[in-house]
Amino acid sequence: MLTWKKNDVKQATVGILFLLPNILGFLVFTAIPLVISLFMAFTDWNLEMHNMFQNATVKSVGFGNFVKLFTDPDFFTYLGNTLFLMIGIPFGVAGSLAAAMLLNHDFKAGSKKLYGIIILTIVMTVCCMMLVLVGMAATAMTLLVCGIAGAVIVGGSVGGQTVYRTLFYFPSFTSGVATYILWKKLYSPENGPINNILQPMLDWFTPIAARLSPKGATGIAGVLLVLMGLGYAVAMFRRCRRWYFGECGTTSVIIGAVLLMIPLLCAQLWSGLGWGGAFGFFFAAAGVIALAALFFFGRDYKCVTDYGMADAIIIDGIIMIGLFILLGMTNVVLSMPAQATSADGFVAPKWLADYYWAKPSLMIMGFWGAIGSNNMLLYLAGLSGVSQELYEAADIDGATPIQRFWNVTWPQLSNVTFFILVMSIMGGLQGGFEMARVMTNGGPAGSTTTLAYYIYTEGFGTGRLGYASAVAWTLFAMVLCVTIFNWKFGNKYTND
Amino acid sequence: MAKELTMFNRGVKLVVLHVVLALVATSLVLPFTWMILASLKRLDEIGLDSWLPQAFQWSNYREVFTMKGIMFGRWYWNSIFVAFWVTFLQVFTSSLAAFSFARLKWKGRDTVFLMYLATMMLPGLVMMIPNYQNMIYLGLVDTYAGLILPAAFSAFGTFLMRQFMMNIPHSLDEAAEIDGASKWQLYWTVILPLSRPALVTLTIFTFIGNYNSMFWPLVMMKTPERYTLPIGMMAFDSSQGQQTNLLMAAVAMSVIPMIILFIFMQKQLVKGIMLGGVKG
Repeated sequence: MLTWKKNDVKQATVGILFLLPNILGFLVFTAIPLVISLFMAFTDWNLEMHNMFQNATVKSVGFGNFVKLFTDPDFFTYLGNTLFLMIGIPFGVAGSLAAAMLLNHDFKAGSKKLYGIIILTIVMTVCCMMLVLVGMAATAMTLLVCGIAGAVIVGGSVGGQTVYRTLFYFPSFTSGVATYILWKKLYSPENGPINNILQPMLDWFTPIAARLSPKGATGIAGVLLVLMGLGYAVAMFRRCRRWYFGECGTTSVIIGAVLLMIPLLCAQLWSGLGWGGAFGFFFAAAGVIALAALFFFGRDYKCVTDYGMADAIIIDGIIMIGLFILLGMTNVVLSMPAQATSADGFVAPKWLADYYWAKPSLMIMGFWGAIGSNNMLLYLAGLSGVSQELYEAADIDGATPIQRFWNVTWPQLSNVTFFILVMSIMGGLQGGFEMARVMTNGGPAGSTTTLAYYIYTEGFGTGRLGYASAVAWTLFAMVLCVTIFNWKFGNKYTND
Repeated sequence: MAKELTMFNRGVKLVVLHVVLALVATSLVLPFTWMILASLKRLDEIGLDSWLPQAFQWSNYREVFTMKGIMFGRWYWNSIFVAFWVTFLQVFTSSLAAFSFARLKWKGRDTVFLMYLATMMLPGLVMMIPNYQNMIYLGLVDTYAGLILPAAFSAFGTFLMRQFMMNIPHSLDEAAEIDGASKWQLYWTVILPLSRPALVTLTIFTFIGNYNSMFWPLVMMKTPERYTLPIGMMAFDSSQGQQTNLLMAAVAMSVIPMIILFIFMQKQLVKGIMLGGVKG
């Protein structure tokens, strides 16, 4: 134990005095509630039984709340919703990265003269195009959209990065109740602008799709499924190759392979094709056999078991989502002929009011907000830190732009990506409350109720405080897992 | 000849870049465009294919303030009032705590700081339910104090300020000490003025975060007069939301202060995000 000298005590007193306001607030609004919350999770505290009229004593139920939770199908539905909405995260991150890379150019590259010529060219082109459009008697809408685009490009060519960055950042900056209400109106099936634009397009597409026979649709769906199998095979081959050459540890290769196999095993349920399940199972089994064979024969270049873990999770996770999309597409294609030949043809979705479309609607909105978010700014900072010499070296080796990206930019940004993903996953697990409350009330039929919204309705709606606390602590346990994962692998991956 | 060709190539590249960027930016801004235009329409024009109003109804904006049951001006004021106090208190307490963590040496300091950091990871949801019971117990439900006090202390703010204060040269402390300054004087006259960039950043962050905050006001506030803007907008949406043009006018007015703030403060904000993110 440390011994405290008189001087130490004095210094500590001064230090604590400065902390005092914060510590008081921390105790009253964080520490004490935390303890109460933990206590609540093990009781039957319910506002229907324990209120000012009916003062029954609060009883401990041990792990009763948690047992109830894990046997409650609702809980798993809502957990599924939360995870489903998180599928949007990689798209958002990829969008931010793309935006950051576009913004990271030197807009005044070369001479002032060139810069001037470019501005002049752009301004002239925009003016001419507007004049032509007016001359062609374009509708006011076309003029309006072109006018905005023109104004943006003129502003951007004069102001450079700042102008674009500001415009990109708008959606995430204003996010909150205001934008949720705005999107609710945009999605409105009766008079929302999205369906106003989409319906004519679908009407145009209906007769084309109607020519597709059910047989043809089955064929296309089959091709999509085979593509999925091929994608899986390529990804699996890459993973095994990395393991063989010592760029990926044994644990990492197993995790990556499992991620890749999930969509194939779901093919039984979701593909809509009779042979889909067997097909998926066959490919998954082939993967397992290949891995087993690899492990049996061993490799020459050894590495620690969890080496390359982040690469396995990020890349294979993204591929997994791609495979799921292909799988979903088979269903869409299969149902197309029947819908196109029905009386109404294709009907624009009812978005937030539709059980199946509600979650994708929220994800589209999320993507809109995610492109120019803080993540883009973090990526911009990361990009400016990438040494120019590496690019020069890559150029001397004759690297193509794609090779430049995968072999220079991507590895150099790996720590930023890792940080962003961990933060997004933690936010995603706790997220969805505001959207659900403002836009859908968790509906239709609970399809947009996330865990956060569930805690809110349980705690503040029905008043089952004990149960709500148990859900909250379960959520906390999940977030903690992500945090521990971050501690364990974050630093390692950063130093790769 | 060759030189001109590369210059031409570079020019074409730049123009293409501008076109791509402008297209992305335009599509991101389109929802806002629709919002502004819809807010200037008559109600019966809302569902039409054309986004443009036949005649600009600027009176919509005035009408929002006089609608029955919608105390828009009052909510605006509440939001700004609450956000102001939260920001003031949070920046003050955070800078005090950060000073203690960054510039004072005392036993157990780093342990306490680690505990602080750990609380940053706790999901706010865990604390919400007992905090609400806490507020009932303290009699603060449906009061401004109940909104302001829990938000006045922040581990994140402390962390951000500490990161900045660590980088101020330590020779300043010694110089102040030789001049016989007390710790408070050191904080108030030396460190605080030098931390201005971090103070500005934290101020903007806290203000915006609080201006947009929804969960806590939603649970706490019961009387419509005391609603903040987000809660008020939700009430507007659920009670008279079919008046899309007026609703959009209200949304536009609630978003505009943020946009103005961002345009003027974006340098500090961008710096702050790097400070909080990259090092964290």
